[in-house]
Amino acid sequence: MPNILKDYRTLCLAIALLAMLVLFIHPYSMQKRPRYNYTFIIDITRSMNATDYQHQDQNLSRLAYVKQSLRDLLKELPCETKVGLGLFTERRATLLFEPLEVCSAYSEIDTAISQVDWRMAWAADSNIAKGLLSTLEMLQKSASSVVFITDGQEAPPINPRYAPDFAAVKGHAQGMIIGAGGLQAVPIPKFDPDGKQTGFYSADDVPHRSSFGESNLDPSQIEGYNARNAPFGNAATTGSEHLTALQEGYLEKLAAEAGLGYARLTDTENLQSALQDPRLATEKIVATDSRWQPALVALLMLAAVYWPKTRLFRRFSR
Amino acid sequence: MNLAVTTPWVLAGLLLALLPVFSRGMTTSPTPYLPLLPPDPLSAVLAVLLRLCAMTAIAGLVLGMAGLYRSEQRVERIGLGAHIVLLLDRSSSMDNSFAGRAPNGKEESKADAARRLLTAFVQQRQNGMMGVAEYSTSPLYVMPLTENKQAVQAAIAATATPALGFTHVSKGLSMALSFFQGQTVTGSRIIVLVSDGAAVIDHDSEQKLREWFKQQQVHLYWVFLRTANSPGLFDKPEDSRDDNAQVMPERYLHQFFSSLGSPYQAYQAESPNALKQAIADIDHLENTPLHYWERIPKQDLSGLCYRWASIMLAVLLAVKFCERKPC
Repeated sequence: MPNILKDYRTLCLAIALLAMLVLFIHPYSMQKRPRYNYTFIIDITRSMNATDYQHQDQNLSRLAYVKQSLRDLLKELPCETKVGLGLFTERRATLLFEPLEVCSAYSEIDTAISQVDWRMAWAADSNIAKGLLSTLEMLQKSASSVVFITDGQEAPPINPRYAPDFAAVKGHAQGMIIGAGGLQAVPIPKFDPDGKQTGFYSADDVPHRSSFGESNLDPSQIEGYNARNAPFGNAATTGSEHLTALQEGYLEKLAAEAGLGYARLTDTENLQSALQDPRLATEKIVATDSRWQPALVALLMLAAVYWPKTRLFRRFSR
Repeated sequence: MNLAVTTPWVLAGLLLALLPVFSRGMTTSPTPYLPLLPPDPLSAVLAVLLRLCAMTAIAGLVLGMAGLYRSEQRVERIGLGAHIVLLLDRSSSMDNSFAGRAPNGKEESKADAARRLLTAFVQQRQNGMMGVAEYSTSPLYVMPLTENKQAVQAAIAATATPALGFTHVSKGLSMALSFFQGQTVTGSRIIVLVSDGAAVIDHDSEQKLREWFKQQQVHLYWVFLRTANSPGLFDKPEDSRDDNAQVMPERYLHQFFSSLGSPYQAYQAESPNALKQAIADIDHLENTPLHYWERIPKQDLSGLCYRWASIMLAVLLAVKFCERKPC
């Protein structure tokens, strides 16, 4: 055996160089990674102006808090995640932009979210069940998961007789409903045309029951029923529809009917973990940089070559 | 040169690069006696160089593993272009064809035609920024002024979802004008209003719009998608009693725009081809010198580090074979 090969250093350097050869021939390894594609649909109806969130010692409206959490979330989302944005009011949603990759379009998405305003609403009703159905119909062909963020406040209250049927979209669209708001009922602020708050909605300002179509009750049980003139009876209605709280039970029911998940918005971490639901992910095989592995081998070998001879070490070599 | 790494803690490994300072990395002779050898400056230099080789090899490996990259840079350039805000009408009538019917298989809706041609327009613009605003009953802020063409196209593509409500053009214009607030004036500033109808603008809004157009120095292009048999921009009413803003909002809006004092051009498109012509015109006209920032994307330098380390390793191994071994 030639002298040269007796030297462990030669061996180490040769291994290091071989490792570098591996590094250049085989730089990537294929790995399965979950990829997410979300379309956030934000409820911008009046009840979202109710102030029942706290953030850094400030009272925030639901809408402001939703925007804040989404912008915080945007910073946390890994590259290659796609985010689209839409708004809900009245009975349907509209899409502002189709999903964009978060790293290359971060500032655009961030600005667009920050500009969402309740005054963008093109009509004033808040029929969430129908809105959800129309959103799911609109997006059932796209690869994006719907993230419908709402407080569940139906205004005016819906008539159970005309509840929308989700059977057609169930299983076709995936997504989540995110409940925003507190569980304590709070008043809804009222604004003048210039956007200044002028107080709160009172019980006299809002309808407390649906008066659309026919009642779902048996006519004999309705006080003062008249098929033509008073299909809902003549009793004065009172209620608390001018106050709003997160309708968790209702949203959970809608989510179950539409085959979506449900989570409550409490903070950004909670939102992030809710959105990492594996059902919303599509597995994609991506090339992952694995060059660090052979590089580490080469580094250790090189370190061994230059490791100073301590006494302990000297005993073994030479 | 802005260098950064993806996993900073790996940089602790740079300490290993000091190892060659303390060790020669060679088998020492069991009977060393330097004065036996004549002083040789070349050997001294070579010894230092070899250590440097080893140090840079270690540093290269560590930097490669840490993921060294040059961060995204912006270089100021001067070119031809414009800052354009597309103001799109989302009112329900946009979903009809130019003939005023619900589109059948053969003809496309006004919204479809606008979407197709605007997407091509965005693609072919070289420099400058674009933004998107929409309006129906209320204005929608969609996409800020950006150089990211994909983002603008994603916003245009999203108008494929069904349209909304009515036409409230003054609010839409105010929103489009707000895009230019706080931006330095460079190149021309343009609002391209694409709509198929008009609405009466009340007196207060008129005053505000006049003021803002003047302040922001914005050029306005109105691409009016005229539906067959509807009043056009330049039509004069047959009956003078019909000559008012309620009956002929298009004519009056056109007159208002003409009186703004800032450059204004109206295009009345009655078919997708006319729309194409109007867009080509705007593309051609609006190229004035402007400062813009060219984005140089993030550049991965880890490959370079690894290559350097390999070369150094090869040198060290080659030198190892030249080493005189003690017997």
